[in-house]
Amino acid sequence: MSFYHTVFNTVFKRNSVFLTTIFAGAFVFQAVFDEGVNKWWEARNKGKLWKDVKLTIPGAGEEEDDE
Amino acid sequence: MLSRLSLRSGRSLGLATTVARSFSSSAHTLKSTYDSPDFTKYLNKSKGANPDKTRDYTYLMVGAYGLVSAAAAKSTVDAFLSTMSASNDVLAMAKVEIKLGSIPLGKNVVVKWQGKPVFIRHRTTDEIAEANDVDISTLRDPQKDSDRVIRPEWLIMMGICTHLGCVPIGEAGDFGGWFCPCHGSHYDISGRIRKGPAPLNLEVPHYEFVDEAESVMIG
Repeated sequence: MSFYHTVFNTVFKRNSVFLTTIFAGAFVFQAVFDEGVNKWWEARNKGKLWKDVKLTIPGAGEEEDDE
Repeated sequence: MLSRLSLRSGRSLGLATTVARSFSSSAHTLKSTYDSPDFTKYLNKSKGANPDKTRDYTYLMVGAYGLVSAAAAKSTVDAFLSTMSASNDVLAMAKVEIKLGSIPLGKNVVVKWQGKPVFIRHRTTDEIAEANDVDISTLRDPQKDSDRVIRPEWLIMMGICTHLGCVPIGEAGDFGGWFCPCHGSHYDISGRIRKGPAPLNLEVPHYEFVDEAESVMIG
């Protein structure tokens, strides 16, 4: 029983398991992908975002602190 | 018929040098008179090729494509559905937060929420006792005081008369609560209708206390 044979038997053999894995994977993938893109976007635009700008404006932090 | 004959003759002449690989071992296929194409040229002939690995790779590619497609489909549906939810500027207007520390005991405050007045009264213990003393069966719209407040010291309700929508006056009327000048409805210290034409008690909006009752969020 090689590793590849085990993988085939556990995931690919039954279409129900295969499809379930795909849909479950899609949810995980989407969360990870969105998180990753957001991280990249914020890193790329560091210093221009409201949460960075807010600190430089005196008094602006008080009103918009609910989120 | 002609093509089948020619195929067979072609084979017998030795044009097809290798026996066509059979991809199905079912009896039906074996009985078939059709020749399957010769795929040996395209098979992985590298030494030590693992057929299990190749098969896994194929399924993995199919699965990965399906996964990305499913995620894309979900994103698309999400994007369309999210257009139906309220936008952030609407949500920002839908709630109002009031600091309660500035309201002294026994005082009324009127705040504006969604364009409508909201009464907030910091009730004294005497007023709370008075509101609880009332015999509910005698009321037009029977409601216990405890059903109208979350914390008894803070009475929060819409400042709109349930008769025709005037704004009642605080600390007035025969019952020590509110009085509507338009048609003379009297509300008690719990905002319940006691006398006059109004059919219902003053409405209590949804609200919740935040930061250990430091402030209240209406909406």
